[in-house]
Amino acid sequence: MSAQNAIRRPSHWPVTIFCLIWLLITVFPIYWIFVTSLKSPLSVNGGPTYLPWVDFTPTLDAWRAAFSGARGDFIGPLVNSVAISLTSSVIALVIGSMAAYSLVRFEFRVRLLAALAFAAIAIGGYVAVVHGLGLGKLIGLGLSGVLAMTTAVILNARNLPGPVLGNGDVVFWFVSQRMFPPIVSAFALYLIYAEMGKAGVPLLDSFPGLVLSYVAFSLPIVIWLMRDFFAALPVEVEEAALVDNVSRFRIFFQIVVPMSWPGLIATFMITLSFVWNEFLNALLLTTSQWQTLPVWLTGQNSYRGDEWWAIAVAAVISITPMIVVAAALSRFMRSGLSAGAIR
Amino acid sequence: MFDRAKYAFILPAFLVVLVIGLFPLIYSLTISFMQVRLVPPMPPSFVGFDNYVEALSQPRFWSSVRVTFLIATLAVAVQYILGLALAVALNSTLPAARLYRAAFLFPLLMAPIAVAFIGKMIFHPGVGPMRDLFGLFGYPDPPFQTDPVWAIGMLVTIEVWQWTSLVVIILLAGLQSLPRDVYEAAALENATPWQQFRGITFPMLLPISAAVVFLRFVESLKLIDTVFVLTGGGPGIATETLTLYTYQEGFKKFNLGYTSAISFLFLILIVIFGTVYVALIKPQLEKRT
Repeated sequence: MSAQNAIRRPSHWPVTIFCLIWLLITVFPIYWIFVTSLKSPLSVNGGPTYLPWVDFTPTLDAWRAAFSGARGDFIGPLVNSVAISLTSSVIALVIGSMAAYSLVRFEFRVRLLAALAFAAIAIGGYVAVVHGLGLGKLIGLGLSGVLAMTTAVILNARNLPGPVLGNGDVVFWFVSQRMFPPIVSAFALYLIYAEMGKAGVPLLDSFPGLVLSYVAFSLPIVIWLMRDFFAALPVEVEEAALVDNVSRFRIFFQIVVPMSWPGLIATFMITLSFVWNEFLNALLLTTSQWQTLPVWLTGQNSYRGDEWWAIAVAAVISITPMIVVAAALSRFMRSGLSAGAIR
Repeated sequence: MFDRAKYAFILPAFLVVLVIGLFPLIYSLTISFMQVRLVPPMPPSFVGFDNYVEALSQPRFWSSVRVTFLIATLAVAVQYILGLALAVALNSTLPAARLYRAAFLFPLLMAPIAVAFIGKMIFHPGVGPMRDLFGLFGYPDPPFQTDPVWAIGMLVTIEVWQWTSLVVIILLAGLQSLPRDVYEAAALENATPWQQFRGITFPMLLPISAAVVFLRFVESLKLIDTVFVLTGGGPGIATETLTLYTYQEGFKKFNLGYTSAISFLFLILIVIFGTVYVALIKPQLEKRT
């Protein structure tokens, strides 16, 4: 609101009309889908109609059909989506905000050489174990992972030459996971899950498998957002508690968390919307039992043909929770979430 | 003692990202140097860079690269221009700012798949309102599904519809943090609104603009949802994006080594783009400060 009085306004009307037109464009498709869900097959196929009671007669048939289960089971995918998105958002929020907190309050020093050694041993060790010794792929990953980790920890404690990475670089490492095209990680994850399945741990089309993938997928955002919130907290209360010998965990859960509710809730809702809307991961990692709403929606398209009224009902069901989230988030934004989160 | 607490705090997140994010990547990287087929099943064999060479010699790969970058460039350009105009407009006037803010959040939080279905409905030649809109201009049935140019236009329009709001919200936050006294000085000098925009607003928004364009561009390169639902890559392969192409290779042909190789080429393309972008934009930003 700062600069508004100083700016000389050109003329008020063109600007307002421009904004109103965009508002109309934004709202119209949402209106359209609600209206279509109230149409009968006849009034959909007769060409576009716009106003209920004026150019078509609204009916609840499509809604009744959906809830009676006559058009295939959408309750299953709905329950899956709710369970998966809530569980993974909660887990991601808990471990992500812990990591964010430690990145704000402690100093991390990782030697570049140790990090490079980690990467080299992880990849080289895997190739050597699997293709050299001919052991299983999962054993290879496990062995090389443990070996790389130990070496990196030992190397890091030594006084090696070379640049030292700080907290900023650790945050970058987390956030850069989001830069990967999801198809790269989703496809890789599909391959690993398939291997795990052969080894007797079925993760494809399973609740733990999907939740794990979504936790990893949401962590970068949680860490990025929560770091800003924690950095804005006053450090004095925590220092006072430290003097009284309160453990770091109690400080975090009993002092820091209660002070950051607005940030935690906003971050939770953003994570929830990401997971709720996510498509590609779910498409690759599920086949039938744990399909989420977006995957189920695409299925509607292929084997049902153009039953727009039914698709509209399904789409409305999938976007309604997000409209609630949008309304709630816009309240937070007034209290300055956007400015803090985007920096 | 504090040291241990610090590692305990970060370890769960670190392990999840390592195990779920990075290990699969290592595995898929090794696969990309092998010949692995599930249909017909074949014992995996090491083939070196063959998969990469094959991908780079496929016209279909390059076509998907072109389509991906074309859609992303067009969509982000429109989003930025429109978003900047809207942000400036909303910042200077507007009674019902709160209403706008809520309305702008809707598209952002909707599942791209749901948006794709709404788009499909709206652009449908028989039942969609687009028919009426174009009919007003005397062109009743644009070939959205059958003509490559129209199909890409349709996909870009849907991207713009869904993501312009994000640009608006971020730029609006940037505008509201601009110092006020510069504008007061400009007003004393009798600068016109356009001069104020050219001389103050735009240059001062440049860092945040660079960030938002980068963010949107990288996200746009990942496009699959709308293409998957609306065109399936067609007509022909005219709208097949890289993500869709990778998916088709992996889950229609089950040629795993080749698919891994394309996905790493995709990653390399994004890294190249990011490096070039930062190299180009950095001198611009430093010049101003």
